[in-house]
Amino acid sequence: MVIDDSRAMRLILRRIVTQLGFEVHEAGNGREALELLEKMDAPPTVALIDWNMPEMNGLEFVTAVRSQERYRQITLMMVTTESEHGQIVRALAAGAHEYVIKPFTPEAITEKLALLGLVPSGTLS
Amino acid sequence: MTSPTTEDLQAITEQVWLSYLDPEGVAPFLPSEETPSLPHVIAAVSVTGAWEGHVVMSFSESASQMAASALLGIEEDEVSRDDIADAVGELVNVIGGNVKSLLPDGSLLSLPHVATIDEGVNKWPAAVEVCRLQGSWQNEPIAISVWTSKSTG
Repeated sequence: MVIDDSRAMRLILRRIVTQLGFEVHEAGNGREALELLEKMDAPPTVALIDWNMPEMNGLEFVTAVRSQERYRQITLMMVTTESEHGQIVRALAAGAHEYVIKPFTPEAITEKLALLGLVPSGTLS
Repeated sequence: MTSPTTEDLQAITEQVWLSYLDPEGVAPFLPSEETPSLPHVIAAVSVTGAWEGHVVMSFSESASQMAASALLGIEEDEVSRDDIADAVGELVNVIGGNVKSLLPDGSLLSLPHVATIDEGVNKWPAAVEVCRLQGSWQNEPIAISVWTSKSTG
């Protein structure tokens, strides 16, 4: 699942993870993402989450997802311009598993997914 | 504290171009001393909190269309105003976020705001320009500037 208020950024991320074999669902903010999760037959493997979004931001989404046992297995990766150490700590403390700072390369996303065991570690080579 | 500099803007812009607009490294943003012509599209994010000001990108009409085309993967003649707003809004969001990383902790970044020049939004009352990077991308002018709105610069 790709959650970002920018269509351009959703498209960039969609291209990357589609090439890695993922089926992609998109949401424009945290609230939309929660609504989408409710409708899905099975939770997604991973959510790539922007921080600054209208209505419900990425940190609020992470907190909401982590409060629900049924979504426990979703891997949460922040993909954001927020690079302050304190913000990274907040996101990880709220339950995010990984953190990528924009701008990123496709290789950076792939590397993080590999570190999380979600794509084969040899994908980059 | 130190304020962002033109060199900072150039380093950030190079990264953004390589990541999103020019991954092959064949059409970089080229800095120039020449004052660009009147921009058509203005994209901005505001910073509040420990430091207050704005990060502003201005584009010619063609530059904004090229950016939307590149980011959204559509032909330039199919680009809509919404496409431009989304694309240049994300560009200024990423550049603004990286500028914010140079500012004191506790600064907050707004969501991007995008306007065309005919909507009359290209002035920042009571703000002082801190630094500016101007140049061209595929012969179309683009400028990036940082403004502070109180004595935090």
